[in-house]
Amino acid sequence: MPKGMFVDTSICTGCKACQVACKEWNALPHEPGHFRYDLVEKRPIAVNFTGDSYDNTGAMSATDWRHVRFIEQFSEDRSRARWLFSSDSCKHCNDAGCLNACPTGAIVRTDLGNVFIRQEVCIGCKYCIPSCPFGVISLSEATGTVHKCTLCNDRIHNGLGTACAKACPTGSISFGEVAELRKGADKRLAQLKGLGYGEANIYGYKEAGGLNVFYLFLDRPQVYGQPETVMVPQQRLPVSSAVTIAGALALGGAALVSFRERGSREKDEEVKK
Amino acid sequence: MNPEVHIPGWEWYYVAMYFFIGGVSAGAYFIGTLAELFGGERHREISSTGFYIAFPLILLTPPLLIADLGRPGRFWYLFFRAKGGFPFLNFQSPLSVGSWALLLFGAMAFLSFLDNLVSEKKLQFAPFAKAYSRIPRKWYAVVGSTAGFFVAGYTGVLLNVTARPIWAATDPLVGALFIASGASTGAAAIYLAMSWRKKLAYPGLSGFELFESLSKIIELILAVGVVVLAGRYAAPLMRGTIAVMFWGGTVLLGILIPLAAGWYIPRAAGRRTSLANLATVMAILVLLGGALLRISLLQAGQVQ
Repeated sequence: MPKGMFVDTSICTGCKACQVACKEWNALPHEPGHFRYDLVEKRPIAVNFTGDSYDNTGAMSATDWRHVRFIEQFSEDRSRARWLFSSDSCKHCNDAGCLNACPTGAIVRTDLGNVFIRQEVCIGCKYCIPSCPFGVISLSEATGTVHKCTLCNDRIHNGLGTACAKACPTGSISFGEVAELRKGADKRLAQLKGLGYGEANIYGYKEAGGLNVFYLFLDRPQVYGQPETVMVPQQRLPVSSAVTIAGALALGGAALVSFRERGSREKDEEVKK
Repeated sequence: MNPEVHIPGWEWYYVAMYFFIGGVSAGAYFIGTLAELFGGERHREISSTGFYIAFPLILLTPPLLIADLGRPGRFWYLFFRAKGGFPFLNFQSPLSVGSWALLLFGAMAFLSFLDNLVSEKKLQFAPFAKAYSRIPRKWYAVVGSTAGFFVAGYTGVLLNVTARPIWAATDPLVGALFIASGASTGAAAIYLAMSWRKKLAYPGLSGFELFESLSKIIELILAVGVVVLAGRYAAPLMRGTIAVMFWGGTVLLGILIPLAAGWYIPRAAGRRTSLANLATVMAILVLLGGALLRISLLQAGQVQ
């Protein structure tokens, strides 16, 4: 039975305990892009922070496997305001673009349904990076391989939940069997709809064959930086290949027209004789 | 389409140069094969030149590809499982299938290269030549040019089958565009090699010029098609250095001007003496345009 996480963003407070727990459990170093070693002060200086938000990573990366988004919304006359949070990570898609794209079999799905990168097999070809429709995977210059959330592969195969879910103080992130989590999500969605949150929706039931890490959003998915329609890139492979073959045939036809002049065959035979 | 899809960070001087050189090599090879299959003796010089340049060019490409890997020493995992050593192939991944196609194409290009040396008596090693002539050359030329079409085209499919907005939006035309560019640049490379070998005066040249023009027309249609298909995601192709490379380099210098020259040169033949120089310059422009096509399309998908 696949395990996963349900992220109920309606009760997220943006505390980033999940980010910290993720960093600690997985022993992830600081993001190299956020620090520069200062030669005068002889210590790393923070650079490239977002600076305009409590969002301190900006995106997921090889060392930031979790990213808490802060979304500020104001009405036209700024009399009403809303602050949305969402803790984002790898969604462990059932039809995973990264896994499909991997040319070495480094990216695998375990018996618990999580998508896992075998570091000892990854060659750093970087093809999985643009193949993920959500922008999850990144290359680490330090290891020369790609990294992303493992769904705490070591913890979940030893009877524990994920570190982020364990650390979440409001229960916004819950870990468990996907089927069970979906029941809870449906119940929570009905409750929110009853309270007047008309835009509330569950993200991840249909996308990419179903996401093992799925979300309850209070606004459209796009507001949270998630694509509204998810196209797993490999779905385009058959048509793309067919058109390319047609292109090859067109050029073969052009060569046939060009090189086979009228009557040239007979002339060749005459020459041979 | 999601703008937050990450950028792979492929270096243009490795990856785009591989796309280009692989395209030239594969283009020269399949032109060589098609000239041999359809053209017979009259086009023997084209096919032999195509086979002579295809193999040395494709030899240049594996180092480029390996250099772009995060872990270059593990490149062989593309072919064999890290544990157990069983062959590995992922049919859903153009990169995986393309690696095997490149290997197959390289092997066939090597055979055709040797075959040419033996048949033109530049390589004389009697037992080898005897054994060698038993393999029908057309047979492996067909296998090789099928692999060659694959090598020229899969790089475009590889870009199309990602989630980066401009690469995804231009699906499914980039593979065909790269094949057309492989054909036009392959023909230009054959032309340059033939003029260098001073083998230009032969009866089949008019057919070859027709093929050069047809491949450029197909390339032009596909290049315009790619931009139309990209729609609003074409923005990176419309500004800055990338726009100069794509519109100025590929479309104008690499396709339109050589097409015009291809129309003009046969009509002016006999009247001017510098036409051979003009044709040489045009062939160089076509190659430059082909390189800039790969660079501009690779970089267009790698800007924020």
